Amino acid sequence: MAALPLRSVPAGGRPSRQLVLDYRDDLRIFPDRWARFGLVVLAFLYIWLPTQEVSDAGLRTLSTIAIVAIGAIGLNLLTGYTGQVSLGHAFFVGVGSYSAAYLGAAQEWPFLLYMPAAILLGVFLGAVIGPFALRLRGHYLVIVTLGLVFLGMHVFRNWTSVTGGNRGTQIRGADMSIGPLDFSGLELFGSTFTREQSMFFLVWALLALAALLAKNLVRSRMGRAMQAVRDRDLSAEIIGVDLARTKVGAFAISSGFAACAGVLSGLQIRFASPDDFDLFLSIEYVAIVIIGGAGTIFGAILGAFFVIGVEEFISHYSRSEWLGPVVRTGPGDSGFFSVGELNAVLFGGFIVVFLLFEPRGLAALWLRAKAWFLTWPFSY
Amino acid sequence: MGIVNPQSVADTSDETATLLEVRDLTLRFGGVTALSEVSFDVDRGELFAVIGPNGAGKTSIFNCLSAVYRPENGTIHLDGTSLIGIKPSRTAELGIGRTFQNLGLFVHLNVVDNLLLGRHHLMRTGFVAGMVWKGKAKREELEHRAAVEEIIDLLELTPYRKSHAGLLPYGVQKRIELGRALAMEPKLLLLDEPVAGMNLEETEDMARYILEIRRRLGLSMILVEHDMHLVMDIADRVMALDFGQRLALGTPDEVQNDERVIEAYLGGST
Repeated sequence: MAALPLRSVPAGGRPSRQLVLDYRDDLRIFPDRWARFGLVVLAFLYIWLPTQEVSDAGLRTLSTIAIVAIGAIGLNLLTGYTGQVSLGHAFFVGVGSYSAAYLGAAQEWPFLLYMPAAILLGVFLGAVIGPFALRLRGHYLVIVTLGLVFLGMHVFRNWTSVTGGNRGTQIRGADMSIGPLDFSGLELFGSTFTREQSMFFLVWALLALAALLAKNLVRSRMGRAMQAVRDRDLSAEIIGVDLARTKVGAFAISSGFAACAGVLSGLQIRFASPDDFDLFLSIEYVAIVIIGGAGTIFGAILGAFFVIGVEEFISHYSRSEWLGPVVRTGPGDSGFFSVGELNAVLFGGFIVVFLLFEPRGLAALWLRAKAWFLTWPFSY
Repeated sequence: MGIVNPQSVADTSDETATLLEVRDLTLRFGGVTALSEVSFDVDRGELFAVIGPNGAGKTSIFNCLSAVYRPENGTIHLDGTSLIGIKPSRTAELGIGRTFQNLGLFVHLNVVDNLLLGRHHLMRTGFVAGMVWKGKAKREELEHRAAVEEIIDLLELTPYRKSHAGLLPYGVQKRIELGRALAMEPKLLLLDEPVAGMNLEETEDMARYILEIRRRLGLSMILVEHDMHLVMDIADRVMALDFGQRLALGTPDEVQNDERVIEAYLGGST
């Protein structure tokens, strides 16, 4: 029953560009020629962008986008797919960053050891905290996970032997090599790459891996169970989905993604301080998930582009003629927002606007555009 | 996979005829007695109907069988296994499939995924194997997809496969729910008002599907329904409830002519 003997297509050509001949075809992530072409374009950009025109500053921004997207994919698994809104994501990102600082920089573990260790620590903490938090729903869950952020900041401030306390801690000299590839300064095919270029290669490859893992999860048994819990938890339970196990598992995996993003962002900034992992970071992640599109993997990446793009835009133009009067860049400067405050206000605004007008986010805009072209000329 | 085969009927010869045994089921919410010492049996392959006015306790029986409610008193045994005090998610493994009165579909998932979720308890892939995908997870997806397709064929859901369940017409949604319950490969199917809110044509379609399922799969079913024509036409035995009490139990004819049932429905003079 599984494989119909129709794999070969008659010589006259394909009957339809979307014909599905096998259940296998339904399971493909890149189902048709266009999607596979897109993949090739992305692969080309991956090689071409860092080696060509883009400046180191530009590459840093692109790397930040990839790092944040990894974390956002994690939150999307929890919020978009399982329907559990959490404001505690910043805590797990912080756990990742401090793992990089302590295990990677201070203890000088190799990358291939401290990265998995940080992810496992995130998963472990998620699995331990999850059962308490996920007994609650809706607003109560939001409040409890909010508490997690403050708890985390308290620990980061006071466990000075590991975290360096209020002043933060340097993340210098941490190993960043995978086998023969050292991503703190890649040397490949006789050419030497800058740290920014190498970092770009590392984080975008990891983002691709993270996206693939997440996509695999949501198209298999437990990912489907997560979505069932989101849509109707009572009937999910009655058809045999263990609610606690599904929710806690989603929370743990989401935390693992956050920790991975935390390690990478620590390596990127080479510094971790308690204030980096405050409520604003959590809200930023929630904004990315909502703006990008809850319940889609590539929405998280679109959202990261959008949010980090806006942030960069504001900090870049904060001294310009038209943003200058609004944004306060120095102590004596006029203007009523700091850069961070303006970001916070804007993201709040974006969350509201998207929830009102496009609750399914940028991903939905993309899907709609795609549907329009696929059904052209009968686009109604 | 062959789940749409009448093999389960033949295999039961060495087992007892009774599949479900409910004894003295009592359920209270504060001062309200939802069920009071209700006892009944369901035989293998039987279509057992429960009728009664609103609030008689019909859905409460289902909620006890799915372990959503925990009764104060009484026993429920399915194939000798007690259903009292277990987690609701365990009832699926033990063989109880259920549809809901007010649709319990996963509205953002397509029909195939909704039906595949019915097979959740038959699948084994965990979080990690799912993320790896290659191997176990993929193999399981393909196997169970084949099983789901049989049900899609049986219930004529083919045109809707890839549509989001929430966007489909009500009658189709009811059918998807039936399909999801069937995909669970239950021993006992609980149908909570499968034709509520349907027009005559849709009701007849649903009756046809229920009978077809019975013929092909030999499933035992409990049907809760207000449509008396449907109940009296297709049920083997009928139990009438009123205010949580069992009024009558017997063949459709017996129950239809029972004085107490007529009284409860039409209002008596006593």
